[in-house]
Amino acid sequence: MQATRKAILNMVTLTLQELGEDLDIPELLAANESTRLFGARSPLDSMNLVNLIAEIEDRLSDDFDLSITLASERAMSRVHSPFRSVGSCVDYIMELIETAEPTPEDE
Amino acid sequence: MSQIAFITGTRKGIGRHIAEHLLAQGWLVAGCSRKESDLEHPNYRHYTVDISDEEAVSATVRSIKKDLGPIDVLINNAGTASMNHLLLTPGSTANALLQTNFLGAFHCLRECAKQMSLRKSGRIVNFTTVASALNLEGEAIYAASKAALESLTRTAAKELAPYGITVNAIGPTPVDTDLIRAVPEASIQKLIDHQAIKRMGTRDDITNCLDFFLRKESDFITGQIIYLGGVTA
Repeated sequence: MQATRKAILNMVTLTLQELGEDLDIPELLAANESTRLFGARSPLDSMNLVNLIAEIEDRLSDDFDLSITLASERAMSRVHSPFRSVGSCVDYIMELIETAEPTPEDE
Repeated sequence: MSQIAFITGTRKGIGRHIAEHLLAQGWLVAGCSRKESDLEHPNYRHYTVDISDEEAVSATVRSIKKDLGPIDVLINNAGTASMNHLLLTPGSTANALLQTNFLGAFHCLRECAKQMSLRKSGRIVNFTTVASALNLEGEAIYAASKAALESLTRTAAKELAPYGITVNAIGPTPVDTDLIRAVPEASIQKLIDHQAIKRMGTRDDITNCLDFFLRKESDFITGQIIYLGGVTA
């Protein structure tokens, strides 16, 4: 699948909705671009956020054939966490995709 | 369905023995080392990777999932040793030991635990050494790198327990492998004299302990370091 912003946004919101069903968190069933992922206004606790990041990395690999680590030095050292909302998370993923080194198979 | 184990350092020695042991039990085994392996088995797949390379480990763990399926068990066996008086140990040697023995193991643990956390199940077994428990002279940096791995084992056990993942470690006594081949016989004997049971370890002693950690019934065993031969910390 091509990694357009729309496709990545769909994948992240779908992942959140499924997480909401699994964990019985009704706020996540209607997840959209402005849904908070981190901080006091987020329905996710820290363990859920770890789960979400692992799940997104897994789907980036399975669905888009992208080997990307989201919890990088780059993400953790930012003043504003890229995980504060679905939208900022998707923007961050797009940034990583655009700056990623091509893998040997891609060359 | 066969369970899937990822074993680091399978080209020779203990890692190779563990791979053959699990293959004989019907496991699917992904092995890795910095060089190619001559281990051939229909259920074995080898990946050439330097585990101190973080991105290469991430890519390898994802490849294993695509090639074989999600990893059930990680066996962090790969390690390197250097015996020397600490006053004669170059910083580059210390750095290389920490890169493989600690950081490499950490990279594998983190990436495999991510996969395991999604399935709420997994077993991780790290390899330490009795040299750490015994604070052996001449092995300061090797023992320190494994002590760091022991600390990681205990803390990871707590952080990963909510995801159904156990993390334990095995501390073998000297076993006849390339790792100790260059060590003088007198030094090996001195080490064996510290053990309650005074003999060299065997590869089967190690797989016996490993089997215990991997048993279905061992899901309440985590954060434990088992030293063989009756060595106590």
